[in-house]
Amino acid sequence: MPTSELLSRDAYLLSIELRLFWLIAFIYCLSLVLFIFHLITRQNTAGRAGTTLLWIAAFLHIGLILFRTFEAGRAPFQTLFETLSWFACSVTLTWLYVSGKWKDVHLPGLVISGLALGASLYALFARSPAIDPLSPALDSWWFEWHVVLAFFSYAVFVVSAAIEMTYLLVKPMIRQGLTPYGFTDDMLEGFHKSAFRLVIFGYPLLTFAIFSGAAWANDAWGRFWSWDPKETWSLITWTVFTIYLHSMTIPRFKNLPASVINIIGFICMMMTFLGVNWLAKLLGIPSLHIYAV
Amino acid sequence: MRFKKIPEKIKSPAKQLLRWTYRKLASVTTSIYILSLMAVFYMIGTIFPQGASFSDYEKAGGKAIWFVASFDLLIFFSSPLFLCAALLLLTNLGICCYERYPSLFAKRVFPDKFEPTRSLKLTRHNDQSQTEVSKVLKDEMGFRLVSKDNTWIVMEKGLSRRRLTWLYHAGIILCFVGFIITWLFAFEGSITLKPGKAVEIAPKTTGNLSSLWQKKEPPTEWALILDGFQTEYVETAKLDYPKDKFSRLAIGLGWQLPRYEIKSDNLAPKDWKSSLRVARGVKTIAQKTIEINDPLKHDGYTFYQEGFEQRLKVRVGNNPIPLEVKADEELIVPGLDEPVKFGTVRTGRVTRLDGSVDKIKPYVMARSAGKSALKHEVKPERLDLHGSIELDGAFLTLVGFEESSVISYRYDPGVLVLWFSGIFVLITMTLRFYTGYYFLAYNIALSNGSVFLDVHVRASGLGADTDKLYKRMAHLLER
Ligand code: HEM
Repeated sequence: MPTSELLSRDAYLLSIELRLFWLIAFIYCLSLVLFIFHLITRQNTAGRAGTTLLWIAAFLHIGLILFRTFEAGRAPFQTLFETLSWFACSVTLTWLYVSGKWKDVHLPGLVISGLALGASLYALFARSPAIDPLSPALDSWWFEWHVVLAFFSYAVFVVSAAIEMTYLLVKPMIRQGLTPYGFTDDMLEGFHKSAFRLVIFGYPLLTFAIFSGAAWANDAWGRFWSWDPKETWSLITWTVFTIYLHSMTIPRFKNLPASVINIIGFICMMMTFLGVNWLAKLLGIPSLHIYAV
Repeated sequence: MRFKKIPEKIKSPAKQLLRWTYRKLASVTTSIYILSLMAVFYMIGTIFPQGASFSDYEKAGGKAIWFVASFDLLIFFSSPLFLCAALLLLTNLGICCYERYPSLFAKRVFPDKFEPTRSLKLTRHNDQSQTEVSKVLKDEMGFRLVSKDNTWIVMEKGLSRRRLTWLYHAGIILCFVGFIITWLFAFEGSITLKPGKAVEIAPKTTGNLSSLWQKKEPPTEWALILDGFQTEYVETAKLDYPKDKFSRLAIGLGWQLPRYEIKSDNLAPKDWKSSLRVARGVKTIAQKTIEINDPLKHDGYTFYQEGFEQRLKVRVGNNPIPLEVKADEELIVPGLDEPVKFGTVRTGRVTRLDGSVDKIKPYVMARSAGKSALKHEVKPERLDLHGSIELDGAFLTLVGFEESSVISYRYDPGVLVLWFSGIFVLITMTLRFYTGYYFLAYNIALSNGSVFLDVHVRASGLGADTDKLYKRMAHLLER
């Protein structure tokens, strides 16, 4: 195919991809509105509708990611635009899978749709969707595994945090004898336990993600660890989840403290993904982009 | 958890303090505090620019200079404070593993009081039931006998949690050993190799331990030779994507279309490859074509493709002696007011947009680097090998160029230990979390003339499914 035709084909495919992505973001937005309504009114109909929309969005999002894979001719998680899209999709899918066990519980969908919408809008408004070739250092087998596992663990930690937040909100209501948001007294502890089980599932994945990142850095730059902010934040996230798992073995820490630590772990994970230099900026510390120690 | 008994008569305050410290360091609660301290320390390291000099930090408007200097916050990860905290964590981990080692071989006991979690009605007579249940659990369901008393029989299935947990904690200690070996012995450097020239590795540094008796490592007894160097590129098209949010939304709504366009210098680097040979005298002892992500290992050293350097030969006008300039640097051209800046010479192979692969006709982009040119965003011009361009009235000809490969090297005996222990931690951790483990106590009781199997099951691990276990048990016993 002549180059000019090739380029207009690529531009056309990209325009379809972008329209689909905007549509998906719109559906995330609708489901978020429904979940907010569910939160305020405690009506399960709104929650159910929100979850149905999440299913539709997730289904379309899988299509979008397959489309991007075909368009780029490579795994679709190498630019921030792509990883944000991947993040939104994997978080939604993980929640929908977990929610299968808790049929009439919809409240965690609020956090999930909020994050999926935030990630999608950030990608669409602030990042370029260009399909550029990989820089030589990224072209590695380790890198692909590193990203896949890291994002898988992120999705799992997000859902765990959403469950934890729901639990903290609902527990006092149940104590007062209410049955809010589709919860009953006997299912609450089982529901809360799934937050722990998710962390147990995600923790080895995050460990492998850090390990594969180190193996890749060792092959590419000859240093398995250089304390750059992204690496260090991943270590912080890992340490916080280690603290969480330790807390779960101590009766004194097992309840509220462990729940709070789990949510802190989620915040650290988001910092690893998006905000590595945010604290320095907040405190007015200059970032000189030198990270060789 | 139990501690070794220390005789009562030991009353000296120092020993008591030691005992107290030891007990604290054997506890999981302490590990929570130490790990929290480490997390805060890591955060500090992300806030302050590591490796920056104080003057740069000050110039960039950095705050709390005194505080930053006192706590080595610009080299925090190698500061005594951080290393002490890491050592404390290691001690905590070591004592924990040591204290829990005997319990790995202790028999597991069921708690004194427990209620059956399930009761299954058996059809057999009491005597036969015993053998039947034991046969089903042992032979068909894979349980192992743990203990037995007059009422309860205790069995288990799956890999022991305690042992797996202990093993990966021990694996983390081994990772620390790897880090320590790296910290003591690793050194690194970089060399620039010209094709065909043999170069010995003469490091300028040494590991932290060897620095006590030598400033730098002795040169190697073998030499490294570059037999060939090649760059590879891919042809790219630039996406003309609007910057403002409304136009981006307009694309999403289909009111605007994105566009790809071809720029004059549209090659993006894909790979750099060096054919390396290690030789002792005239004898070749190792050989490999290295590229980014694929280094050469020899004699404890690992050689990485870091980059390359180019020296351009540029003739100005009819001057027979060409001027030399490094790629990406400025050249002062006699007769011109402003310097000229050359980019990287594109040479080697290129994969075109349509997938075909071509040899590149070497060229470089050049432009005036003066203030006015920068202000007016003057576009660079393409200068082919043996071709000429006119820049501000001067004729420039690219008469040739030389390439050398920049290779970084590292000697790090800790990596092997780290890989081994890292993989060990991953395997044991995965088994601990993902596989199932069942701990079961049962007894057979006669009630109202019927025989019942009372079972209490404790399960852990994501692979454990108690409901499924009960169902299978009931099915096998029914049969
Ligand atoms: C980098 C350091 C550490 C990591 C990554 C780590 C990781 C973990 C994880 C993931 C668990 C929970 C799952 C399990 O029970 O297997 C755990 C439990 C545990 N850890 Fe650690 N740990 C670390 C340091 C320590 C230290 C310093 C101690 C010493 C007190 C310790 C003692 C324990 C104990 C006793 C358990 C509970 C096991 C049980 O419930 O049977 N860990 N650790």
